[in-house]
Amino acid sequence: MKTGPLSQDPGSKRYAYRVNKEENRKELKHVKIDESTVTSTKGKKMDLPKKKFYRQRAHSNPFSDHQLEYPSCPGDMNWGKLYPYYYNDETKEMTKKVTIADIGCGFGGLLVDLSPEFPENLMLGMEIRVQVTNYVEDRIIALRNNHIGKYQNVNVIRGNAMKFLPNFFEKAQLEKMFFCFPDPHFKQRKHKARIITDTLLSEYAYVLKEGGVVYTITDVEDLHNWMVKHLTEHPLFERLNEEWETTDKCVSIMRNATEEGKKVARKQGAKYVACFKRLPDPTII
Amino acid sequence: MSIIHPVQSVVSSENEQVIYTVVKNMLLAYKKSEAKDSSYQLVGKWIDDTAIGGDNQEGTNNEGIKKAKSNEGTAVSKNGQGSNMSTPSTHAYIRNLTLSKNEDRLFACTDSDKAIIILDIDFENMENCLNLVKRQRFPKRPNAIAISNDEKTIMIADKFGDVYSMDVDAPVVEKINDEVEPILGHVSMLTDILFKESKNGKRFIITADRDEHIKISHFPQSFIVDKWLFGHKEFVSSINAPQWKCNLLLSAGGDDSVFFWDWESGKLLSEFNYAELVKPYLTEQHAAPSRFQNEANDVVEYAVSKVVSLENLPYVAFFIEATNVLFILSADLENNTLTLKAKIDLPGNVVSLSACKDAFILSLDNRDLGNSNFVKFIKFNNETNDFSIDEPLSSQLDSVLVDSLKTNDSATVESNEIYPLYNVTSLKKHGEHYS
Repeated sequence: MKTGPLSQDPGSKRYAYRVNKEENRKELKHVKIDESTVTSTKGKKMDLPKKKFYRQRAHSNPFSDHQLEYPSCPGDMNWGKLYPYYYNDETKEMTKKVTIADIGCGFGGLLVDLSPEFPENLMLGMEIRVQVTNYVEDRIIALRNNHIGKYQNVNVIRGNAMKFLPNFFEKAQLEKMFFCFPDPHFKQRKHKARIITDTLLSEYAYVLKEGGVVYTITDVEDLHNWMVKHLTEHPLFERLNEEWETTDKCVSIMRNATEEGKKVARKQGAKYVACFKRLPDPTII
Repeated sequence: MSIIHPVQSVVSSENEQVIYTVVKNMLLAYKKSEAKDSSYQLVGKWIDDTAIGGDNQEGTNNEGIKKAKSNEGTAVSKNGQGSNMSTPSTHAYIRNLTLSKNEDRLFACTDSDKAIIILDIDFENMENCLNLVKRQRFPKRPNAIAISNDEKTIMIADKFGDVYSMDVDAPVVEKINDEVEPILGHVSMLTDILFKESKNGKRFIITADRDEHIKISHFPQSFIVDKWLFGHKEFVSSINAPQWKCNLLLSAGGDDSVFFWDWESGKLLSEFNYAELVKPYLTEQHAAPSRFQNEANDVVEYAVSKVVSLENLPYVAFFIEATNVLFILSADLENNTLTLKAKIDLPGNVVSLSACKDAFILSLDNRDLGNSNFVKFIKFNNETNDFSIDEPLSSQLDSVLVDSLKTNDSATVESNEIYPLYNVTSLKKHGEHYS
């Protein structure tokens, strides 16, 4: 007899864990965690989520019609729910806008490490896999609960950045975009599914401000060469040199922080980094 | 009983003197002489006799075909966009019939080999005014085309979301997969494309997709996105730029409204909601597929198939797929609103719609109407201040169509062999992929 996935078996430990966490998420996801809420839960430390309960197949088809929630335009996005600390209840406005995006943020390692380094910036992770997104949400809930006032500037949404990035961000809103260990899509005919393509770069250029930076890192040399080629050829991007890379703190965090990066390091594999600056638009002809 | 295949699309010269139609895999041209009261005559014909997949096309390299096929077979059919489409590739459709501004060229797309075709129109040639001058295959099926104002460049929007630019007069590129890169793209099936010039003379490409997006990119600097027009909640199937003012744009699709935009400023000027208007015209054909149906069995799905505008008068027409009614809206250019002007009931479902200077021209699904009512001309009457079907002109073209096609084996079919005429509503997304 064929058995269903563990996550759908009501008797499994994973199922029970997921149900519990989901209730927790519903309750705490958008709560402005501060001293008062913590005293009400008697200052109990929350356990960080366990990755083994959030396993999901590694690939997701970006062309599918997923059940996604996204605003109909950037102005409709309810950012206050993701970053309650930066929402002014009186003016009903955000006091800050998201300026850093981690596209395909995976388990959120980069976001968590960037958070204290860029306390003045709001950061958003976008991840297409449901369970992985849930993990990052639970991780942020736990971190916000355990470190009062911290990690308020990071959050995650489940989304398809290849399709709906402009629904979230206005023209020139972002300062940094990270593409860390993206799906390599080795087969030639799958290349359109890669996160870096000529046509998508024009959309990334739209949401990036002049001087903004695209960060890429991968352990797949072919993919690295592909990303470098396409970014170099795009008229709105220019590669930043190695000297710049060695002085930029995001590069070192990116090399060491992400789970993929740690995995590659454990296996002593190579990591290829390339960063590109958003050039000004040329004169419109 | 065999019947003449319905007309899948029809376009007219400015003054309705020449009519171009698509019937199955044929392009047919009908022309009136200058003399008053003269009738249409068949003056041109072109048949797409390329086998499906384009295998018998001369001078095509085999490698290219194989590659194109494997692309289509795997990358497209496996994803939701591909499998949802009811448009089969087993039909040699000719789509997107477009007449050049000076009316000396026809552009179209052939499904058989996923190509753009360009035909010269020469009425001096008494035998056949249509002459194929170029046939360029593309990696994916072209879904829509746009011609630049100087008519030197043709922009092709494909099923896979990419836009290619092609020099009209350049030689055919054999290895299109290797040599041609898209100039812009969406990660969604493209449904329509327009070329526009702004009032300060800048050029733009406007593209619409199966997600809710309308994107405006510069041209030729197509790597610079100017903006998106946000507002649609469902797929966009048709966009149209009225000639009355250069900043105007109409769009419609799976939403209950026709959207009226100032595309230069990015502002939504107004919406015309047709939900109530269309209700009496919905039939069992509009019932949602069973897997998306509710218990009461009353979920309906419908979509605007096409929205067009008259060149000289501020009127807009649109139809909802598989309905037998044409809605005509009056555009108030002071207040930027659309209001209902006329509702034209028709003897069969509308299949295609186009507009010329001052007439709307549509073709009907006339499979049950006994070889009549192929094409209808709808004109504005200054005396009655209203729109009506020009029956004399319509029936004149009908009878010429019947005369020219009744002995044509390729045009006569059994009524169950008709090409699928309704494939817009199926673009609707149901979000079936949860993981």
